[in-house]
Amino acid sequence: METAQQLANRLLDRETNAGNADTTRASAAARAGEKLYRALSRWIGTDGCHALFTRARAQQLASHEPLDSLQLRPRHEPYIAGAEETIGEYGNDATANAIEAMIVAMIELLGRLIGVDMASNLIEQSLSDFAPDNSVPAKRRARA
Amino acid sequence: MTKDERSVIRTLGTGVRGFDKVLGGGLPEYSFNLVAGGPGSGKTTLAHQIVFANATGTKPALYFTVLGEPTLKMLRYQRQFSFFDPKVAGAAVQFVNLTEEVMDGDLGAVLEKIVAEVERTKPGIVVVDSFRTIVGRISRSEEEAAFGLDRFIQRLALHLTTWEVTSFLLGEYAEEEQRNPVFTVADGIFWLSQATDRNSVVRKLQVVKVRGSEPMPGLHTFRITNAGLEIFPRIPEQTGSRVTHKRARQSTGVEGLDEMTMGGVVSGDAVMLTGPAGSGKSTIANQFIWAGLEAGETGVIAVFEEYPEEYLARANARDPRVGEMIRAGKLDLIYLRPLDLSVDEALHAILDSVKRLKAKRVVIDSLSGFEVALAPTFREDFRESLYRLVGTLTATGVTVFMTAEVVEGFSDVRFTSQKVSFITDEIIIQRYIEMEGELRRVMAVVKMRGSDHSHEIRTYELTPKGARVGPALTEYDGIMTGVPSLRDKSAAVSAKRDVKQSKPGVLPAKPSAAKRRK
Repeated sequence: METAQQLANRLLDRETNAGNADTTRASAAARAGEKLYRALSRWIGTDGCHALFTRARAQQLASHEPLDSLQLRPRHEPYIAGAEETIGEYGNDATANAIEAMIVAMIELLGRLIGVDMASNLIEQSLSDFAPDNSVPAKRRARA
Repeated sequence: MTKDERSVIRTLGTGVRGFDKVLGGGLPEYSFNLVAGGPGSGKTTLAHQIVFANATGTKPALYFTVLGEPTLKMLRYQRQFSFFDPKVAGAAVQFVNLTEEVMDGDLGAVLEKIVAEVERTKPGIVVVDSFRTIVGRISRSEEEAAFGLDRFIQRLALHLTTWEVTSFLLGEYAEEEQRNPVFTVADGIFWLSQATDRNSVVRKLQVVKVRGSEPMPGLHTFRITNAGLEIFPRIPEQTGSRVTHKRARQSTGVEGLDEMTMGGVVSGDAVMLTGPAGSGKSTIANQFIWAGLEAGETGVIAVFEEYPEEYLARANARDPRVGEMIRAGKLDLIYLRPLDLSVDEALHAILDSVKRLKAKRVVIDSLSGFEVALAPTFREDFRESLYRLVGTLTATGVTVFMTAEVVEGFSDVRFTSQKVSFITDEIIIQRYIEMEGELRRVMAVVKMRGSDHSHEIRTYELTPKGARVGPALTEYDGIMTGVPSLRDKSAAVSAKRDVKQSKPGVLPAKPSAAKRRK
């Protein structure tokens, strides 16, 4: 079974390799976090998902200062706001590492709450609905 | 189209033990059901069991969660149940949160979201947990709310049925709310309740209605264990007719007692052995089971008074083959000691075991312990419940051997403390008497329906190898007072000698005519 880190790596790689020429590691990480939030919100609600991200950010804040300038805004788009400014202030790598750490912590937290196997399933299943370069579920996009 | 093709409504298995039987065979497919009950009554667990029993990759289940118990917590708790398969959660079982739509208080948006998810997922089963929360968020005037709710429920039911979905709305409703439109529209209404009486909690399920099916009426007790809900249908499964048996005799395994019963107890009868504490009731019950095992008849012992380990240790000390018999599937030891037991639960546990082992002999040790193990609410109608239990068990052809403790004074003769002797076919009583300054044990066969039996009162002893019946106390009067007197004082010496020296099962020689004349 994949660890939280491996699952997060897969999400980040998917966004990094999405084909956008101007994709940086940090912007790919922000998009991965955004999609994870939207995908999981379908299952556990926006509030439930926001609670997980908030806790994950709080856990990682001490070791990843850039998280302090990112805002998590439930029921808003984007959910993770201030990414560009944070990149400008802390640089690409530090911001990317910070967002990645938050995503890993969030997956671990979800795993502790409902079991690693089910957490992996939910994330896997949720993300299969999302195309790598768009935050709108693939089927919903097709209908539009 | 044949008549059969027109009228067939397929049913779904619920995956809940006993529920299909209560429903009359299962849940009608595409039905629109309401699961109502108070908080903690088991609605969510029931729904999850049904969902996990039926969801497949091609026909997934959609579980809509609303305000109330957060989804994360619900998943955390539900996955503790053995039926919850984390591998299918996320694939065949999908959870969708409706909180945002409900928070807006717009029923139209809620309906739209449900329909969109149903269209997208094409599920076989849909659950809305809790439907009551959706309805409670309507903030319009009461009249408008009622109208809107009516329309919402009608449209929801219509959509779900059109999509060939079997659906469940879960909600906390009170009995007096049955005028709520959802009760009218629902094809099935399942009411879960739990009542606390002193320190016991009794859970009950009532199937108020199921369109297209014939559910069992009444309240059915259920228990929530690690395996989820298990329902104990109030009326046990009818086998069509009672098993008829030749009135064959079954040895009691007790030397001398077979002689008193003219060859043993009658197969398929309900036998009651009553006596005071320490009179050897459990010992004789075990001998009855063991005699069956030696004759190739499997047996079941339902223990109510002590832990099975202790019971087994004592039985094994007497005969180490007991453990072997259990391992070989020839003997089952059922432990039923909780203080919130229902008669139906006990009956189903024993019946399951009887069927599994094809048992011929059942021991219930003891009725006194059984009564104490019941939740207080069931003790009130203990006699009626016992009547059903014994009737159902003997209908299968099994011989039921029950023990019952009686507390009696020397001058007070009672068959049982529970006043349940009417349910039995055979009664054997034990009691203590004082004789020559010693406490002695005696027993007598009081009743054998449709069969002759000895009317003697005979002494018996409890030995390391079990009970052994001794001679009849033919020379004594007033035995049942507990303090017998020798009819002829001069016969005392020889009678006493006879009682002490006689072989078990052999009557002592009667005093000679010369002695009697004296």
